Amino acid sequence: MLILVSGGSGSGKSGFAEDLVLKLHKKPCLYIATMVPFDEECDRRIMRHRRMRADKGFDTLECYLDLKSRDVTGYGTVLLECMSNLTANEIYQEGGAGSRCVEEILTGIRHIYSQCTHLIIVTNEIFSDGIEYEEETRKYQACLGQINQKIAAWADLVVEVVYSVPVVHKGTLDEIGKGAL
Amino acid sequence: MILVTGGCFQGKKNYVREKFGLTAEELTDGGTCPMEALYSAKALYHFHEYVRRLMEAGEAFSLEGLKEKNPDILLVTNELGYGVVPTDRFDREYREKTGRVCCQIAKEAKEVHRVVCGIGTVIKGG
Repeated sequence: MLILVSGGSGSGKSGFAEDLVLKLHKKPCLYIATMVPFDEECDRRIMRHRRMRADKGFDTLECYLDLKSRDVTGYGTVLLECMSNLTANEIYQEGGAGSRCVEEILTGIRHIYSQCTHLIIVTNEIFSDGIEYEEETRKYQACLGQINQKIAAWADLVVEVVYSVPVVHKGTLDEIGKGAL
Repeated sequence: MILVTGGCFQGKKNYVREKFGLTAEELTDGGTCPMEALYSAKALYHFHEYVRRLMEAGEAFSLEGLKEKNPDILLVTNELGYGVVPTDRFDREYREKTGRVCCQIAKEAKEVHRVVCGIGTVIKGG
């Protein structure tokens, strides 16, 4: 099953996605972490996420670039967090895919999903603050928007998390954890 | 406890007045009210601004305190966090904090409503 979990900053989407992984009951579970530890603020975010999933039985794979080269064979469920970081890395980091970031990331997603039973992707709503950013930032928004749309088209389940409350846009949460998967 | 969220200029105040039969006087402005008004107000809007004021004062939000003193309050908040990560550190922390506080409230609330274009959808309870 391919699941897309979206939401704003601080919406509780990560906690929700981790709970989904547990309900899917398909071990072992892998967490693909995408945030580059640039500074102390990033470190704090990373530590907070590590604490959140500490007792949930995840292995962790750090992947800042080049998702399509990763081997996740043997994992039942993979949680990738977060598409907004991975996209920014591919656009802005040295050695990233640059203008080819959309195709490269989508290829990476297909590659990962071909190796596991369930893939849950957390992404981010960065599109509605009403600010017209400069060209570079708009390009980033455009790339993430395209990636989100494509994943949603492929996904069995698309959930937006609103202050911890799931709002389902595609599929249904009813089947999760009932052994139907 | 009831939480009503949505973007700015979506008609949230009108929605809660009609939906819950509240008068204008029963709506307290979280951006300007005394801080202790949270514990007596029937309904408080601009709750995101109330969170900002708490942060500026270096105070923490206490869900336990609210549950104890004003468990039936209706809170109206802007839905923040749907934009590019702000460059200003306080702005980043503010939208994050508002999110975390609203998650706590939403988990406790018997109903959560979301208002888009003046139209409310009950996304929890109701």
